[in-house]
Amino acid sequence: MTGEHSDLIREGKVKRVLSDPASPDTIIIEFTDAVTAGDGAKRAEMLGKGKLACETSLLLLRYLQQRGIATHLVEKLDGPRLRCRRVEILPVEVVCRNIAAGSVCRRYGIEQGTVFKRPVVEFFLKDDALGDPLVTPEVAVQMGLATEDELAFIRSVTLSVNYYVRELMRQVKLTLVDFKLEFGRTPEGELLVADEISGDTMRVWDETSTSLDKDLFRKSTGDLVSAYVELLERLVSADTKAVGPRTERIVVEVMPKRGVKNPPGEVTMKALRRLGMKGVQDVRVGKLFVISLDRPVSPALMRELEAMNLKLLSNPVAETHHVRL
Amino acid sequence: MSIAVIRFPGTNNEHDVIRALRQVPGAEPFLVPSRLGARAVLDADGVILPGGFSYGDYLRAGAIAAVEEVMDGVKELAEGGRPILGICNGFQVLTEVGLLPGVLLPNKTSRFICKWVHLRVCDENTLFTEGLAGLTIRIPIAHAEGCYHCSDDELTLLEQEDRIIFRYSDEHGVVTPEVNPNGSLDNIAGIVNRRGNVLGMMPHPERAARPALSSADGMTILENFVRGARAP
Repeated sequence: MTGEHSDLIREGKVKRVLSDPASPDTIIIEFTDAVTAGDGAKRAEMLGKGKLACETSLLLLRYLQQRGIATHLVEKLDGPRLRCRRVEILPVEVVCRNIAAGSVCRRYGIEQGTVFKRPVVEFFLKDDALGDPLVTPEVAVQMGLATEDELAFIRSVTLSVNYYVRELMRQVKLTLVDFKLEFGRTPEGELLVADEISGDTMRVWDETSTSLDKDLFRKSTGDLVSAYVELLERLVSADTKAVGPRTERIVVEVMPKRGVKNPPGEVTMKALRRLGMKGVQDVRVGKLFVISLDRPVSPALMRELEAMNLKLLSNPVAETHHVRL
Repeated sequence: MSIAVIRFPGTNNEHDVIRALRQVPGAEPFLVPSRLGARAVLDADGVILPGGFSYGDYLRAGAIAAVEEVMDGVKELAEGGRPILGICNGFQVLTEVGLLPGVLLPNKTSRFICKWVHLRVCDENTLFTEGLAGLTIRIPIAHAEGCYHCSDDELTLLEQEDRIIFRYSDEHGVVTPEVNPNGSLDNIAGIVNRRGNVLGMMPHPERAARPALSSADGMTILENFVRGARAP
């Protein structure tokens, strides 16, 4: 630790968030050796665990950044500390599941180990008093926790994180069962992957279906620190460049503005009526662009898309546009 | 005067324009395929964007042509005060690229319209309308997307600054909604930019270039254009 003065901003269960003497735009996240489970009901200290969680997070966040995913990571500091962008953490956390384990099994009676055909993304309300309940996107929007577009953005980024981490782990014979992500909002309103990505926030199984994550502590079935060492060593040995890009599909909808005459819609409406369709009041014809990209959704990509929408895909004099992720 | 006539993939009026320009003394029209890029037009004294269906009218009429590199050269010439004339699809390209305000939407009838129309020329003398101010001229149109649309503020500006050069009218020059063929705001058939050196018009002056075509009214516009290219 240096002699510079850092104020404690927030004391979490396993991390401290400190102010950064270097800049008001960044913070310092310090990983402690604490381990907790069951919302803090079970608690212990394990020497070296903080350093391992910090190293694992650093490796994965840096890797995700290289693949174009925007995260809060700025740099590694000495000790188990990361310098990160100062963001406002959203009160919604995201869980992505490839294989059923934990709460989803209890909630729906799904057998542990059931492989989902497609990754499942769930949102949870971050509220200890309520026990962090599942929250549907509709309710999250109504509660003002995030907008519909923000949730779609978060979902898309989460699926990219899932793909890139899962493929990296596959190389070293690890299975990514599920993981939790938090997102933070910058003062400019951009959403970044925040918090940590480590054995504390995911379930990882090795080739014998043995956990290399916090389940060892939750269920008291093994030594957490040696599992975290194993997880980190395997990740270090994986070749990040060998993971191919994930194809991202983005849909841009362009519609004539309200009040602008839409002759293609008018003739289509007449034809629908002529064919006997009843009750047709109006038809508006717009355009749909399906854009496939070999890079993930990010704030920079959204800015680029907005520029392209105004410059090419729509004519803002007469049309509106909306990006659907 | 060297006049660049730009052909995008799908442009089909370039030879009509070149033929009409050859009748103007001093005009040396040359064809520029758009793939040659901005450099191919920079030495020109003026540019004509002829009609047709650049890029098959995909996306929106003129939208893809507007982001071609050759248009960087056209913009540079426009900024330098050189005369630029966009005819029909060329007008659509000029609005898409932002050299002229507004947009050309599908005709209110949803049909392709090909017919002779009368145009009432504005009363002010402009670069393109010398000798035509206040007159009624006869020139054909041929388009599916010629319904001029812009914001109320923009329309007010166009009117206040006398930049609406041509309006659809009857044969006596009376501008009424009945003679508006495509639903354009204020019967707009052609407008100029603020500086007055960029004209966009839906009617085809090159098709009214000889008495044998039943009107030579378009030639005056092309002659004015060439004269403008001489003295920017």
